[in-house]
Amino acid sequence: MTARSPAAASRRPTAGRSARVAPERASLPSGAGEGAGLYVHVPFCSAICPYCDFAVSVGAAPRREAFVRDLLREIALWREWREPFDTVYLGGGTPSILGAGQLGRLLDAVRSHLPVRDDARIFLEANPEDVAHEAVSAWRRLGVHTLSLGVQSFDDRELRFLGRRHDAAHAQGAVRECVAAGFDTMSLDLIFGLPDQSADTLRASLDTAVALGPDHVSCYQLTVHEGTAFGRRRARGRLVEMPEDEQAARYALIHQVLARGGWRAYEVSNFARAPRHRSRHNMKYWRHLPYLGLGPSAHSFDGARRWWNHRGIEAYRAALDRDERPVAGSERLTREELALEALMFGMRTTEGIDLRDFRRRFGVDIAARNRRFVGDCLESGLLERAGDRLKPSTAGLAVADTLAARLEL
Amino acid sequence: MDHVRNFCIIAHIDHGKSTLADRLIQACGAVEARQFRDQVLDDMDIERERGITIKSNSVSLDYRARDGELHQLNLIDTPGHVDFSHEVRRSLMACEGALVVVDATQGVEAQTVANLYLALEHDLELLPVINKIDLPAADVERVREEIDQDLGLDPFDAIPVSAKQGLGIDEVLEGIVTHLPPPRGERKAPLKALVFDARYDAYRGVVLYVRVVDGRLASGDRVRFMHTGREYEVHEVGLNRLRREESRGLDAGAVGYVITGIKTIRDVSIGDTLTHAREPAEAPLPGYKPARPVVFSSIYPMSSREYGDLSVAMEKLALNDAALVYQKDSSAALGFGFRCGFLGLLHLDVVQERLRREFDLSLILSAPSVLYRVQLRDGERVDIDNPAYWPEPGAIDSVEEPYIRASILLPEKHLGAAMELCREHRAATLGTGYLARGRLEVSAEMPLAEVLFDFYDKLKTVTRGYGSFDYEPLDYRPAEVVKVDILVHHEKVDALAFLAHREKARARALHYCGQLEQSIPRQQFKIPIQGAIGAEIIARSTINPFRKDVTAKCYGGDVTRKRKLLERQKKGKARMKLVGSVEIPQEAFVSVLRTERGR
Repeated sequence: MTARSPAAASRRPTAGRSARVAPERASLPSGAGEGAGLYVHVPFCSAICPYCDFAVSVGAAPRREAFVRDLLREIALWREWREPFDTVYLGGGTPSILGAGQLGRLLDAVRSHLPVRDDARIFLEANPEDVAHEAVSAWRRLGVHTLSLGVQSFDDRELRFLGRRHDAAHAQGAVRECVAAGFDTMSLDLIFGLPDQSADTLRASLDTAVALGPDHVSCYQLTVHEGTAFGRRRARGRLVEMPEDEQAARYALIHQVLARGGWRAYEVSNFARAPRHRSRHNMKYWRHLPYLGLGPSAHSFDGARRWWNHRGIEAYRAALDRDERPVAGSERLTREELALEALMFGMRTTEGIDLRDFRRRFGVDIAARNRRFVGDCLESGLLERAGDRLKPSTAGLAVADTLAARLEL
Repeated sequence: MDHVRNFCIIAHIDHGKSTLADRLIQACGAVEARQFRDQVLDDMDIERERGITIKSNSVSLDYRARDGELHQLNLIDTPGHVDFSHEVRRSLMACEGALVVVDATQGVEAQTVANLYLALEHDLELLPVINKIDLPAADVERVREEIDQDLGLDPFDAIPVSAKQGLGIDEVLEGIVTHLPPPRGERKAPLKALVFDARYDAYRGVVLYVRVVDGRLASGDRVRFMHTGREYEVHEVGLNRLRREESRGLDAGAVGYVITGIKTIRDVSIGDTLTHAREPAEAPLPGYKPARPVVFSSIYPMSSREYGDLSVAMEKLALNDAALVYQKDSSAALGFGFRCGFLGLLHLDVVQERLRREFDLSLILSAPSVLYRVQLRDGERVDIDNPAYWPEPGAIDSVEEPYIRASILLPEKHLGAAMELCREHRAATLGTGYLARGRLEVSAEMPLAEVLFDFYDKLKTVTRGYGSFDYEPLDYRPAEVVKVDILVHHEKVDALAFLAHREKARARALHYCGQLEQSIPRQQFKIPIQGAIGAEIIARSTINPFRKDVTAKCYGGDVTRKRKLLERQKKGKARMKLVGSVEIPQEAFVSVLRTERGR
């Protein structure tokens, strides 16, 4: 971390102003200094998925262009940011909905206004329907390091249920195209836990994924949020979530099939073929490293303070029109809150918690404080102990939230 | 004195005692119509709601009889439940006569009989009243027959009334004057006044309700409680006419109130005799028996933060309930609470209902227990009601448990089922007596512990609602009693331990295990639930582990939302009771302990 807070020069006092004092320094993670992450949120999709609760909308071409100009303005407002970025993540929404020219302008602006390291990794989320030979070549030329493809399933019935616009055949073609293009890391997203997803259809999707040979797989459990189409269906009794025991069985199946293919879990939903394919960007969130988020609803964090942009594009734009950073709110995290987050991340990642590091940062000896519970978890195989590390097993990852809620600080 | 009548009303629950009292009060003009609330004497919410009278009260009525003479009728209300039989006794001692109310549709019930016996013990003159004659199901002739056969009273004296409709009320008033005797007593003799009730008044301190038997009691007198020896100055005496009405003195035969300087009801011994300090009577009135708790339970606040509130509430309740005894108690699982002694199950119910309603507290009550007499090997004898203090089995030589004499009235056709129920509850039936028209009275001796749980309910079920039950304490008898521990994940849960007869231990332990299995949410690992006597496991069940939670995504940096969800989850967990490493929601304790009582 640099001595100076990135937001210290901000005209908006809410945006991450901080004066570093000793206790906060003590709560920094040991990985501090690795580099910051830059996230750019592109809030457009060609259609809204019925399970999605991100800030997204369907934007026609003129709206997209206007938005790119907004982003360029926002980037310029962060010139004072000092922490060098070693990841740039274009997420959404569907950033692949933007043309290569637009993406190029964005990356150029980022590089010219912000401290982006030369070896920074560029991440791009894409939807299979946007994958075409020319587009993929353009992404390669733009320097995209990791391409993350939102496949979700290789089963047509499941894809229809999820409201996706591609079919399984197209998804396979898209993955092949991207693999062939030679990205450093080719990743694909799958969703499991659909209400009547059988073990067989899930296994078939996984087998297909394995056969296609991506470097990284994200496998998310379907979460039904209120305020989404699925949420309303559930409220009317038209959608019944998969029973917990079946979810657990499916989750175990995913680990089993992917492990056999050589993909190791490193987080609740993430699997990589080799450590270098792990998402360097996402790991910043989980390790309390600083990140700057641009675009509507994007969140930022400087080690002590978290702030977030306006969610609606109108409010976001209005702030930029006033030459202000579009920050909607912020919070200074207390040591307890940071500790809780660290605990939560620890239970979600195979790295687990470094007990000594945790004690140094937060003054709590997790293992001693929860001697009885940790003992029971070790005995029942939910947690494992490796030196100073307390790590969730596969079964432990499946109940990561509950473990974090149970461990006392 | 010839123009005074002191009387009470004896009735089974719901037979209309309070309504009849209201009508008598109205007919004598003691209450104006617009200030009249139904059931004036029952001034506690629960009494009104349940239609039962818990605390007795009294009222003086002026009645001009048909002979033109003005009479003072002192109606002394009695509690309608056997838990309060000592209070019933005291009220009866203040009277010369009683109205025996029988429901024209239900007939004579066990409680009517039990109270009638009490009244006869006190030589009261009895006047039967058949109530609810306005109802279509009323069968006055059949009830007359029961009054003759079951109660042994003259059916031709019985006055048919409808208290609800106000029918026959004048006949009842006239009957009181003509059938019930006036008090006898010596105005010149040394003072003897029976304290039959007391209330705490926030402004005046303790108000005593007394029946003057001999002598005269006036303000300014120096009086002494003959059993406790305490002495006080009389500040005020008077009559209860719904409101207190001060008078100069109370003469032999009178019923009224006395205010001295007593600050707390604990300083008053109900049933004690008041006499003058200067010219005391030679001996107190007979029949004084201090109330003793027979049923015990621990009361804990649902949230340990409410302990302070509970503590204040207990103090306030105790102001008016001298029979409630309690002391601080603590449980590893439930935190601080109070170990309480009650006169019986109804008393327990009343106390917990009042804590819930009047003080808005959420409570967990441990399983009720009786008081066991334990003879230790070392020769010492200890009385134990709390499983926490049960000695090691090796230290126990023998145990005795309290027995009751139960009286069950039921239609003949349900006799078989009722006898079976009695056998299940370790009752030895003493005999079966035929009452009127297919109705039987079964009398039995059984352990009090056997009626603490579901006996009432089962009796109602097997008799289709027609059975009634009453009991009185009997004596202590040898029993094989064990302490059953409930273990969750190999950890004893102190609040769930219970004392039981060895034969009953397994069934109850299985019930506990089953209920806990239902009400403890799955946790991260398999949780065995066991019932054990010492090291011997007598019941078990298992909660399978929880295997998957919905791990919402944690990407795009919106960690705040996720953390807040987790904070909420942690708060939810803070309301759980931690036993070892297992979280038990308070509701689990409530459901286990409530369903067990099944009332």
